[in-house]
Amino acid sequence: MAGQVKMTAIASRQSKPVGGAPSTAGTAPAQVVTIKQTVVLSQRWKGSRNLFPALIFLGLFFFAPLIGLLLRGVLEPTPGLGNYEQLFANSAYARVLFNTFSVAGLVTLFSLLLGFPLAWAITLVPRGWGRWMLNIVLLSMWTSLLARTYSWLVLLQASGVINKTLMAMGIIDQPLEMVHNLTGVVIGMSYIMIPFIVLPLQATMAAIDPMVLQAGSICGASPWTNFFKVFLPLCRSGLFSGGLMVFVMSLGYYVTPALLGGAQDMMLPEFIVQQVQSFLNWGLASAAAALLIAITLVLFYFYLKLQPESPVGANNTR
Amino acid sequence: MSAVIKDVAQQPQTLVCLRNLNKHYGDFAAVDNISLDIQDGEFLTFLGSSGSGKSTTLSMLAGFETPSSGEILVSGKSLVNVPPHKRDIGMVFQRYSLFPHLSVRDNIAFPLAIRKLAAAERNKRVDAMLKLVQLDQFAHRRPSQLSGGQQQRVAIARALVYEPRILLMDEPLGALDKKLREDLQDELRQLHRRLGITIVYVTHDQEEAMRLSQRIAIFSHGKIVGLGSGYDLYQNPPNAFVASFLGNSNFLRLKAQGNAVATFEGQLLSIRLTAGLQTGQDTLLMIRPEKAQALSVEQAAAQPLQTGWNEVSAKVGEVLFLGESQTCAVLTQGGTAMTVKALSAAGMPLKTGEQVRVRWATADACVYTQWAESDLNKAAGAH
Amino acid sequence: MLLTPNAMSPRLRWGLYSVTGLIALFLLLPIVFIVLLSFGSSQWLVFPPPGWTLKWYQQFFNNPEWMAAAFASLKVAVLTTIFAVALGLPTAFALVRGRFPGRDMLYGIFTLPMIVPLVIIAVAVYALFLKLGYTGTLFSFVVSHVIVALPFTIISIINSLKLFDQSIEDAAVICGASRIQAVFKVTFPGIRPGMVAGALFAFLVSWDEVVLSVMMASPNLQTLPVKMWTTLRQDLTPVIAVASTLLIALSVLVMFIAATLRRRNEARMPS
Repeated sequence: MAGQVKMTAIASRQSKPVGGAPSTAGTAPAQVVTIKQTVVLSQRWKGSRNLFPALIFLGLFFFAPLIGLLLRGVLEPTPGLGNYEQLFANSAYARVLFNTFSVAGLVTLFSLLLGFPLAWAITLVPRGWGRWMLNIVLLSMWTSLLARTYSWLVLLQASGVINKTLMAMGIIDQPLEMVHNLTGVVIGMSYIMIPFIVLPLQATMAAIDPMVLQAGSICGASPWTNFFKVFLPLCRSGLFSGGLMVFVMSLGYYVTPALLGGAQDMMLPEFIVQQVQSFLNWGLASAAAALLIAITLVLFYFYLKLQPESPVGANNTR
Repeated sequence: MSAVIKDVAQQPQTLVCLRNLNKHYGDFAAVDNISLDIQDGEFLTFLGSSGSGKSTTLSMLAGFETPSSGEILVSGKSLVNVPPHKRDIGMVFQRYSLFPHLSVRDNIAFPLAIRKLAAAERNKRVDAMLKLVQLDQFAHRRPSQLSGGQQQRVAIARALVYEPRILLMDEPLGALDKKLREDLQDELRQLHRRLGITIVYVTHDQEEAMRLSQRIAIFSHGKIVGLGSGYDLYQNPPNAFVASFLGNSNFLRLKAQGNAVATFEGQLLSIRLTAGLQTGQDTLLMIRPEKAQALSVEQAAAQPLQTGWNEVSAKVGEVLFLGESQTCAVLTQGGTAMTVKALSAAGMPLKTGEQVRVRWATADACVYTQWAESDLNKAAGAH
Repeated sequence: MLLTPNAMSPRLRWGLYSVTGLIALFLLLPIVFIVLLSFGSSQWLVFPPPGWTLKWYQQFFNNPEWMAAAFASLKVAVLTTIFAVALGLPTAFALVRGRFPGRDMLYGIFTLPMIVPLVIIAVAVYALFLKLGYTGTLFSFVVSHVIVALPFTIISIINSLKLFDQSIEDAAVICGASRIQAVFKVTFPGIRPGMVAGALFAFLVSWDEVVLSVMMASPNLQTLPVKMWTTLRQDLTPVIAVASTLLIALSVLVMFIAATLRRRNEARMPS
């Protein structure tokens, strides 16, 4: 889901298709007396043949393995819901779930707090400085994830620049432990998620008519009230969709937690990999994966609810 | 008009024949049993509002839509199962539809390249086309570097370069502003006269249809409801829908009292001799605003009513000055609204609230015995 | 007034600007830092470095393992790009041009690999290839990368195709070209920006892919991120900084190409 945001950044801007009356084909029921039924059918499925290559590919290499994986959760080692029971009953595993949700929550909060001013400034100054800010956001988003995580690893380590700077300034006496624990994970992931807040939020803000805010202040609202009663509610859809997306992405992130986190404070994705690679416990891994997918899809459903526009559009008229 | 009369006199041959053509989308009939003969070399316009079936009919001619049933014959041969690229029909699209990645020259050469014509012949023909549409200097530009009118000329050149017998044009001037549109309409008419090609033109603009075509087919709800020269369709509309669709019209509801007499709001009027009228039958009278006259009471007293004319009393609602003409909206005693139009030069010294006498010649008013209420509504015609 | 800088109170405005500046620096910090470190002379990644050197680059380019990894990355990324575009093109055509019901749902299905957490895709595909005995092969790398790259190419091409007026293709057909000829001669050139963007996305996705690659990797075949990953877990040698810098450089290059193409495309289609 990061993809949609990543792409709007570079791909040509989406605009409405030009012209054309709304199509009546396809929606109409296929019951015409005068026409041969085959004609109607071929019309109804016109162009669908082209879907087969990609459908077959995804079916073989994506859906089949995914379903296979999910099935293992109820089949291995013995058929039943044993794996799920274990997942919720064992306190160590419950701890993993708790870590996952609290990290995702914190990351969402921090990236919202840091992303909001950035989106606001970019909207205020769309050219010049704002354009540069936007480029920085895009650069950071499209720069190798591994490279940035490695960088944070070096920056945050006990002998790293940040600890040294803080000690030189006399704020702390001994190095803070900022890597190989949840602090490192939250810092690194908040950093990575900021662009995913800024871009949708900036789009929402750019769509707000400045006159509405002027109207607010003419009606006697102080800047303070105007901000909380007019501006913030207008940004709400951007804040919600951005925040929701970051939350979902954070739940499923593997690279950053694996590198910046510690062995004790594991998150769900690491847990799944560990169960598969170290313990060969496919059943438990599968149960955890099913849980993660379920949460992801439910949240993604809400995310979609916030985006009313049809992605494929109705531009198939002549 | 003279062109029309000449053509009719020559008895031209039928080139395209549409026979009981239907196009259904599910339950919806976009084209409903259309039959039409298109003469060789004529300029025929499909006129109608959006959704009336005119564009679908054109698409079936081009081959982009397959008829649900019916036949399309060109010179007697069926075209229904011929794919569009083998029909040898030229087409100009609504939004020019030039190939954005090719130069003007390559755009025009495209149909010839596809037909694998020798380079020398290809160049010769493209040069001739560039000259015809006066775009010689722009040959190496990209379409995006041309104005809308120039782009449209390229589209026309591209459609003509392979010398098709039929040229289809789907609202080709719709995107241009009024002045440019009129210039291109004149060019198009001259082009047609010079090349003698058969043109089928689709538009929703009735003035454009009048200006360009020898015959007009008026589409409504997937049917052709009127076919003929612009003059005939305007002066003697075949039905109330065509009357209200083309230009402005006044409709009076009458009760027939014989073949040539009817009552309007209790008053006897003479109407055109119409066979089969029964006493008491509901009848509709249509008078064009410019065929009616509005006279003040004094004027009416000074000019006695001639024979073959009718007169009703009314009250002036509003007088509008429109430049070359003036209109006067009046209300009859029975509450029927009418509009009278006159050239400004003739003068219409009337004021709101005054009594007037509205007169018209019996021969100028059309009589209909069958109509639907929605026909009288100007905007009706689309689904 | 909260959206018009001149109408804002100066205190608020400068407050916002300075906060924004700091956040922007925060975003730039690790990127600039890693590039600088790759030129620093300290083995222990001391910052600021005591001196500047190119020796880590020498080490990188002279090490056959790193070079093999870089080459493998390139090979996988190129193959992924080719297959993702080849599969994405017909799919995008079907979704935009097709008149069949359920197109929105199908779109959802095709973008699902973007939504399902990578770890889960990785584990699932790993299980499949483990059974088939394909782990560590080029095939397994390319297939797993195409799964996640495909939504990017499909969406790019869809966006481009939605903007391409189909009547241009129809014009080619009426000019005498068969439908296939028209698609190749007119439509493909017309949607080239979308196809190129889709290809670039697919390349970047594959080039930077860690999770799937780590699961697919074997000692004989590993991509650059995999090599970085395994090295990282042993020590933080500056050679990783070199690899990171190269990854960053390529991302910036691709972004730059994409931005240039977009600008050219916008110039070509005045609306």
